Amino acid sequence: MSVRAAILGLLAQRPRHGYELHEAFEALVGGRAVWDLKPAQVYTTLQRLEEAGLVVRTAVRRVGGPDQHVFALTEAGRAELDRWYAEGVHSSHQRDEVFLKIVLALGDEAADAEAVIRAQRATLYRDLHELTTHRSEAAHLTQAMLLDKAIMHIEADLRWLEMADARLHEMRRHAVPVLPERRRGRPRAEAGDR
Amino acid sequence: MAIVETKGLTKVYGSGETAVVALDHVDLTLDAGEFVAVMGPSGCGKSTLLNLIGGLDAPTSGTVVIDGREISTLSDDEMTRLRRERIGFVFQFFNLIPVLDASENAALPLVLNGTGAAEARRKAEEWLGRVGLGDRLRARPDQLSGGQQQRVAIARALVSEPALVLADEPTGNLDSKSSEEIASLLRQVSAEWGRAVLMVTHDPRIAAHADRIVFMRDGRVVDDTKIADAASARVAMERVGLL
Amino acid sequence: MSIALRLAWRYLSGRKLRTALTTLAIVFGVMLIFGLNGVLPGMRDAMQRMMLAAIGEVDLTVTSASSAPFPAEVAQRVAEVRGVGAATPVARRTVAMPAKPDYKVTSLVVVGIDPATAYAVRPMPVADGRLLEERDDAPDAAPAAIASRATAEKMGVKVGDAIVLPSASGTTEVTLVGTIDSPAPPGSDELYVPLSLAQEMFALGDRITDVDAVFEATADRTAVERAVKDRLGDAYTIGGIATESTLAAGFDAAAAIFNVLGFFALAMGGFIILNTFRTVVAERRHDIGMLRATGASRRTILGLFLTESLLQGAIGTGLGLLAGWGFAVFVSGVLRGYIQGLMRMEDFGVVFEPQAWVLAVGLGMGVTVLAAVVPARAAARITPLDALRPQIGDVYEKAATRRAWAGLALIVVGAALLFVGSTGAMGLGCVLILVGMSLGAATAVKPITDATSRAIEAVYRSEGGVARANLQRNPGRAGATASAVMISIALVVMIFGMTSSVLGGYGEYAKRTTGTDFLLIPNNLIVSGGAVGAGPELAQRIRATDGIAAVATLRYAPAVVQGMTVQVIGIDPDEYGRIASFRWTEGSSDADLERLNRPGTVIANGNFRGQTGLGKGDTFTMMTPAGKRTFTIVGGGNDYINAKLPTVYVSQDALAELWGVTTDIMVLANAKEGADRAAVRAALEGIARDYPSFALYDSAEWQKVTDNLFAQLRATYTTLALMLAIPSLLALLNTLAIGVLARTREIGMLRAVGATRRQVKRMVVGESLLLASVGVAAGLVAGVPLSVFVVKAITMLGLEFPYVFPWSGMAAAVAIGLAFAGLAAWYPARQAAKLDVIRALRYE
Ligand SMILES: Nc1ncnc2c1ncn2[C@@H]1O[C@H](COP(=O)(O)OP(=O)(O)OP(=O)(O)O)[C@@H](O)[C@H]1O
Ligand SMILES: [Mg+2]
Repeated sequence: MSVRAAILGLLAQRPRHGYELHEAFEALVGGRAVWDLKPAQVYTTLQRLEEAGLVVRTAVRRVGGPDQHVFALTEAGRAELDRWYAEGVHSSHQRDEVFLKIVLALGDEAADAEAVIRAQRATLYRDLHELTTHRSEAAHLTQAMLLDKAIMHIEADLRWLEMADARLHEMRRHAVPVLPERRRGRPRAEAGDR
Repeated sequence: MAIVETKGLTKVYGSGETAVVALDHVDLTLDAGEFVAVMGPSGCGKSTLLNLIGGLDAPTSGTVVIDGREISTLSDDEMTRLRRERIGFVFQFFNLIPVLDASENAALPLVLNGTGAAEARRKAEEWLGRVGLGDRLRARPDQLSGGQQQRVAIARALVSEPALVLADEPTGNLDSKSSEEIASLLRQVSAEWGRAVLMVTHDPRIAAHADRIVFMRDGRVVDDTKIADAASARVAMERVGLL
Repeated sequence: MSIALRLAWRYLSGRKLRTALTTLAIVFGVMLIFGLNGVLPGMRDAMQRMMLAAIGEVDLTVTSASSAPFPAEVAQRVAEVRGVGAATPVARRTVAMPAKPDYKVTSLVVVGIDPATAYAVRPMPVADGRLLEERDDAPDAAPAAIASRATAEKMGVKVGDAIVLPSASGTTEVTLVGTIDSPAPPGSDELYVPLSLAQEMFALGDRITDVDAVFEATADRTAVERAVKDRLGDAYTIGGIATESTLAAGFDAAAAIFNVLGFFALAMGGFIILNTFRTVVAERRHDIGMLRATGASRRTILGLFLTESLLQGAIGTGLGLLAGWGFAVFVSGVLRGYIQGLMRMEDFGVVFEPQAWVLAVGLGMGVTVLAAVVPARAAARITPLDALRPQIGDVYEKAATRRAWAGLALIVVGAALLFVGSTGAMGLGCVLILVGMSLGAATAVKPITDATSRAIEAVYRSEGGVARANLQRNPGRAGATASAVMISIALVVMIFGMTSSVLGGYGEYAKRTTGTDFLLIPNNLIVSGGAVGAGPELAQRIRATDGIAAVATLRYAPAVVQGMTVQVIGIDPDEYGRIASFRWTEGSSDADLERLNRPGTVIANGNFRGQTGLGKGDTFTMMTPAGKRTFTIVGGGNDYINAKLPTVYVSQDALAELWGVTTDIMVLANAKEGADRAAVRAALEGIARDYPSFALYDSAEWQKVTDNLFAQLRATYTTLALMLAIPSLLALLNTLAIGVLARTREIGMLRAVGATRRQVKRMVVGESLLLASVGVAAGLVAGVPLSVFVVKAITMLGLEFPYVFPWSGMAAAVAIGLAFAGLAAWYPARQAAKLDVIRALRYE
C-alpha cells in the first residue's frame, strides 16, 4: 500500500524510470537498513499501476543499449495520490506513512504539507479523544492497560507531529533529498532525460 | 446556540516597531455545552484570546459577543456583572483568596452578587461536593493540594451557574493524575452540566477530553477540529483491538 | 458588606507584626490628641471652680473692671438698688502660706467681711465658738478670724489658736474665734477676718475687692443685674471674673498647640499607614485580580480596602483612646504635683469633653482612611489581567514624577512666602515646604541615598550596595517613610530652635532686669494678682541695712486695656534705672525711663505691644479704679518676671494716685562695693523672716533658680521633641519590617549563596541608615524655616528674642535620626539574620 503510494508520489515530482525510482526511495528513507525495498517489488508495482491506468510508460531509445522505460503520473494517478494525501493514517502503522506524506508533500508543489499535518493531527486527536473516553469508562485493568499503551503511542505521535510542524519551514528550505548526479558507464544523452 | 462568537478578533500589544500582534483576526464560535480546547505553541495568543473573551482585556479590533451581547459596548460595571453572572474563570495560579476557606472562596461570586450568606454557602458547598471536596469545606487554600485548589476554583467558577467557563491552563502545574481528574471534571462541566467550556492547554491528553480543538499559531486559528466523532471512535477501538 | 469586613479582618490578623506597627502609628497620634485634651479641661474646670468658689454662692458679685480694689461705698450703692436684698463689701486676697509654721495648706484665701452686713448675704451657721461680730471690726480690736470647720481641721487649728498670716507689714497674727458649718468651697480654703483687718493686712486703705449681694426673693434677677450695672457704670463688672477669660484663652492656646502636635504625630502615622497599604495592595495584586475576574467591581475593591482601613483605624483609634486615657491620667498626675507646688488648687481629674472624643476619633479614623485612599484607588485600578502577570515595578511610580514637580512647585512657592514678611505667610510657607518635600521625597530618594551610601559603602562595600539597591527599589515606600522622618526631624529642629532662642532671650532678660545682688520676690510669682505685697517699711528697712548701696521696688496693680486684663507695674524710674534696667526694644533706651516721671506715660513690654498692636508714641485708654485714663507709650522694654504677660510700667507715684497701691511685690537691692556680702545677706535674711510670703535670693542663688527653671523647660521640650520623633521610629521600623518580609525569599537566596548572618544584618541596618539620612536631610532643611517661623510667631505675641540658629537642634536631630535608624533596624535585622535558609526559599 505505502510502496504503491510512494511510487506515485515520487513520480509526481518528475517522470522517472524504475531504477531511478528505487534509488530515490532509498534516499528518501535513508537506506536499505531502514526500509528494505526490492527492485523487483518496484517493477511489479509499476506494472500494476500501469494496468490501473495510474501511470503511463514511455520508451526512451538509448544509444548503444536497450530502450529504457520512463514512467509518469496520469491524471488518475494524480487523483489517487491526492486521495492518499488527504487520508489519515491510523496510529498502529502510521509511522512511515505520515512521514512519507509530509516529506513528499513538501516536494510536491500541488500538495500542502501543512494540510497533511492538520489532517493527521485531527485524526490522532479523534483517536485520542475516543481512547480517553473509553479509558475513563474502562471496566478492566487489562483494557485500561491496552488503552493506555495506545494513548501513549498517540501522544508520542502527536509530539512528533508537532515537532514536524515546527520544523516544516526548515525542511522546506532543504527540500527533499535527491540523488547526487552520478556518472555510470557511458555518458548519457543530455536532452533525453526530460 | 452560540454562547460565544468572535469576529475578526485582533489584539496588538504596543505600537510601531515593537508592536506584537498577539491575535490576528480570529473568528471563533462556541456553542452551549461545548467543550473546546485551545492549543498551540507558547506565545501564539491563547491566553490573549481567553482574556478577550472573558472581557478581562479590550480587543484592538473585532468583536466578542457573549450571550448575544457585544461586550465592547458594556461599561466596566456591566462587564463585571456579566462576568459575575455568566462567566466562570479557572486560572493556573493565584486562584483562591488565601485568607478565605474553601467554601468561602467558592461562594465569592454569589456573595459579590449580593446573595444571602447562608444561601451562598449552601450553594458553594453543594458544588464543592460535586467536585469531590465535600469533606474539605473549611480548609484554607494553604491546606489544600494544588489539584484540590483547582477543584475549589472550578466549584467557584460554576457556583453562579454561568453559561461559559474559561480555563487557562487549569492543569498547568499539576501532575498527570490530578490533571486527568481536573480534565474529566471539566468534561463533566460541559457534558453533564451543560456549560460551554473553553480551555487552554499544552497537554494533548488533557485536550483530548474536549469535543473540539482549536489550534493556534502566531495569533491565528490554523485548525479547528471536532474530535468527538462517533465514526472515528469505531476505528480507534479497532486499532487497539477492543471491538 | 460582611464579606469586606470578613476579608479585612482575616487579612489584618494574617500579618500580625505589620498590623501591630500600623496600629501603633495611629494609637500614638490618637493618644496624644485625646490624652492632652483630657488633661486640659480638667485643669481649666478646676481653676474655674477655684475662682467661682472664691465668689461663693451669692446672687451677684461686683468687681472693678480693672480687677483693682475700689471704694467700699460701692457696697452701699449696690444695696440701694431696687430688688437687691442685701449687699456687703468684701476684701479678698489669696495668700501663699509660708512653710513655717506649717498649716498644711499652700495657700489660703483671706476674706475680709463686714460683720454688720455679711451674714445677710451669706449665712454662716456656727459650729464652734462664735461668728465675727461688729466689735471685731473696731480699730483697736484684737485680730480675730473664723473658718469653716473643714479648713480649721485641715490646718490643724482649734478655736482659740493663733494663726500667722503673711501681710503687707510682714505678718499678722489672728486668733481663731469660731468655726462655721458651711461646706468648704471646693479647691480653696477660706479664712474670714473683719474687713478693716483685711484692708490693713493688704494695705487696701478703705478699699475693697468685691461686693457680694443677694436679691429679694421676688426680684426679676436679670432686671436687677441690669439695674446694678446701670448704677455703677462700666468701671465695674457684674458677676464675672476678669481674669477668667485670659486664663481660658491661655488654656485654649495650649490646647491648640497640643492638637497641632498631635496632628503632626498623626500625619506621620498617615505616612506609615500609606506605606502599609501600598505594600498590602502590591502584595494582594493577584487576589485583587482574581476577585475582579470573579465579578468584583472596582467599587467593591475600593470598598474592600476602605473597609480594611476603617477596621484598622477603629482598632488603632480604640486603643489610642485607651492609651490616651492612661496618658492623661499620668500627665495630670505629674502636672498636679507641679502646679500644686505653685498654687492652691483643687485636685483636678481627667475630663474628656465631647470635642476631645470627636477630635480624636475623627482624626484617628480620618487620617487612617485618608492615607488608605490613594493605595485603595490604585487597587481599584488593577485590572484582572494585571493581576495574572508577575508584577513589574511599583504601580505608583508613574505618578511619582508628576508629584515631584508639584512638590518642587510647592517648595518654591513656600520658600517665596518665607520672605514676604508676614508671619502668617511664613507659617503657610513652612507648611507648603513640608508638603512639597513629602511629595518630592520619592524622587529625592535616589540622589540622596546615592550620596549618603558612599559613607557606608566605603566601609562595607557589598552590604552597602545591596542596602542602597533595596532601598531604591521601592522609592515610593522609601519616600513616605522619609517624609515621616522629615516631619519628626523638622519638629525637633523647630523645638530646639525655639528653646534656644527663647531661653537665650530670657537669660538675657534675667541678667538685665533681675541681675542685682539681692532679690526679694513673693513665693508664688504665678498669681501676682493674689500676691500679698509688702508695705513701704520692707524697702525702707533694706535701704537702711549696712552695706546696701541702692534699692528698687516693683509694685503691682491690674488694669484693663482693650477689654484685656493687663499688669500695671509701678517702678521708681530713678531708683530702678540705677540698679537694673529693661531689656530695651529697638528705638528705646534708658533715657526713656526718665519720661515715666511725667504723668500719663507708660513703658510697655513686648507682650503688651504685641497683643494691643500699640507701639512707642501711641496713646491708649486704660481702665483704672479712678476711671478711664489716657496714657502714652514712651518706651518699649521687657523685664524677666513679667515678660510672659501683657504689662505696662508706670511710676510708683502714678500707681499710688490712680490705683491706690503702695505695696511692693518685689525688692531689688545692690550691695556697696567692698561690703561684706555674708553680713549683708544675714541682715537681709533677718528682715525677710518678718515677711514670710517673700523669698530672698542673692545673685548666685537667683542664677541657680533661673538655670534650674531653664533646665526644666529644656528637659520638657526635649521630651516633647523625642515624643514627636517616636512616630518616625515607627515609620522606619514598619518599612524595614515590610521590606524584610517581602524579601524573605531573596534573603534566603543571599544566605544560600554565601552571605553571612552578619552581612544580612548589616544590609538591613544600612538600609535603615540610608532611609533615615533622606528624612534627616529633608528635615534639617525644612526645620530651619520652621524654627524661624515659631520664634517669629512668639515674638509677634510680644516675647521678644533674637533668633538663635538651632545648631544644637540640628546636632540633636542628626543624633536622633541615627539613633532611631539603628533602633528601628534592630528587630528587622535580627529577623532577617535569623531566617532559616530552606524555609525562606520556600516562602510564598
Ligand atoms: N501585556 C503584553 N504586552 C506586550 N505583549 C504581550 C502582552 N501580553 C502578551 N503579549 C504577547 O502576546 C503574545 C501572545 O501572548 P499569550 O499570553 O496570549 O500567549 P499564550 O499563547 O498564552 O502563551 P503561553 O502558552 O506561553 O501561555 C506573546 O507574543 C506575548 O509576548
Ligand atoms: Mg498563556
